[in-house]
Amino acid sequence: MFKKILVANRGEIAVRIIRACKEWGISTVAVHSDVDADSMHVRLADESVCIGSHQPQNSYLNISALMSAVDLTGAEAIHPGYGFLSENAKFAEITTKHGIKFIGPSSDLIKKMGDKIEARKIAKENGLPIIEGSSERIISVVDAKKISNKIGYPVLIKAAGGGGGKGMKIVNKPDELEKLFSQAKLEAKKYFNNDDVYIEKYFKNPRHIEVQVLSGKNRTIHLNERDCSVQRNHQKLIEETPSPVIDEKIRSNLLNQTTQMVHNIGYEGAGTVEYIYQDGKFYFLEMNTRVQVEHPVTEVATGIDIVKEQIWIANKGDTTLTQEDIKPRGHVIECRINAEDPSKNFQPSPGIISVCHQPSGFRTRVDGAIFQGCKITPYYDSLICKLICQGRNRTEAIQRMLRALDEFVIEGIKTTIDLHKKILSHKKFVSSDFDVNWLSKESFY
Amino acid sequence: MKINKKIIEELVGYLKEFNLSEIEYSEDKTKVKVSRSLNNSSTVLHEIDKNKTDTKKNIDTSLKVTSPIVGTAYLAPEPGAKNFIEEGQKIKKGQTIMIVEAMKTMNHVPSNHYSIVSKILVKDGEPVEFGQPLISVK
Repeated sequence: MFKKILVANRGEIAVRIIRACKEWGISTVAVHSDVDADSMHVRLADESVCIGSHQPQNSYLNISALMSAVDLTGAEAIHPGYGFLSENAKFAEITTKHGIKFIGPSSDLIKKMGDKIEARKIAKENGLPIIEGSSERIISVVDAKKISNKIGYPVLIKAAGGGGGKGMKIVNKPDELEKLFSQAKLEAKKYFNNDDVYIEKYFKNPRHIEVQVLSGKNRTIHLNERDCSVQRNHQKLIEETPSPVIDEKIRSNLLNQTTQMVHNIGYEGAGTVEYIYQDGKFYFLEMNTRVQVEHPVTEVATGIDIVKEQIWIANKGDTTLTQEDIKPRGHVIECRINAEDPSKNFQPSPGIISVCHQPSGFRTRVDGAIFQGCKITPYYDSLICKLICQGRNRTEAIQRMLRALDEFVIEGIKTTIDLHKKILSHKKFVSSDFDVNWLSKESFY
Repeated sequence: MKINKKIIEELVGYLKEFNLSEIEYSEDKTKVKVSRSLNNSSTVLHEIDKNKTDTKKNIDTSLKVTSPIVGTAYLAPEPGAKNFIEEGQKIKKGQTIMIVEAMKTMNHVPSNHYSIVSKILVKDGEPVEFGQPLISVK
């Protein structure tokens, strides 16, 4: 096994990875920006290195500073977490070239899956259903018009290098196409330095369903699906497993086809294949070549520690798990606690946490990096903590989550705790009668 | 009862020497507690005096546009692009003067004055606090 791992991330995911390393008996190196010197991941790690100033490009995105930290501490592997450099093919390539193990798939696969047009092609070649649309990048408005007429309006223009909803344009009518097409290209160039765009049919009210996989050189297994349809601006807020809206036949098709595709491409490590689901059919959206924020939902249901398995596969190449080992139990829900004020249009709420009491109790898990007196700075993502509850069924999971949310006390900053209480008691959530656009239409305040 | 002044004087001496706010001393049935408010101590007073003279020196009555949120200030809409405003430029009320990024959210800061930019008070990429002056106008 590795002797020392450098965690190239911050916040709750850095803490999560350090915990997994400790259980494997691996020493840990935390890296941090100047403003994060007192944060939880720095306190928990065996060693820490300050790699730059508060702006991400100077610290957590600074490849040369990270490589210097590796050199300085003698770490053998890097865990990138999620966000920051986790899906940066160049970073994976540089670490590998220097004889440092990147905990994730090969840089080649990261690159292919990062290009959404290429990922679409791979999915199609491997038998996954894809959304009707262009198979190549669209260069001219003439081509855009042709393809849009063929698939029928509304259509969605997406950036090949995209993510997080940026560079995405919904075109409802033919006369809007020309303007939105050039806007999408400009935004794609601006955000991703790549103005390649493609066009797909737009789905009005889909659910977001994804499949968690673990893959070694020897075999690929799935850890069932997660349903992440409570979203705001393409950001997930609540995730659950199993999906309350798909039947056994659709589920087994989805899981088997996904496992086959991931096996075919020679994927190594943990990954997630995302789909949209509408009218009884699922369609490939993209593949995330990293651990995801909502991975604890699957961990709690299956009893498999995904991060520890990631590290194992990175070190040994193979996975010791078989599909028979995966026996999910009950229903699991996760609520993301963000430092935002939902009553003021989710305005960021940095500050000092003056009182912090985290819930606990039966089948209640908290993954976070917060403590009483800690400072939530405005420089990074607003996610501060995740609350995960399991029940024998969905009803019990909701009841337990509401109980745990009631116990949760965070003072000094505004959080999404109160909003979660409102959502979980809403009749639409209770009856699973919602889609990814529900939250933006519903008024809770 | 006779109060031993010497003990009090000695204790006050210790308060100052170790920069304490409170000290308690007991001997037999006599208990002496000496306390002071650090805010009234001579060092703090001295600082306040200094501040007073500072404000007198540079009387700054100019209007300012302050940051609505804590975050990172950006003078231009994107790296390499032209700055929103330059010193000496005329600005309208509501015109964006800079962006303050907080938790990946870009907050456009509008001018609340119809005036001329006399000075830009922050650097590009500099962390700013809530209420911190970003520009002064005349």
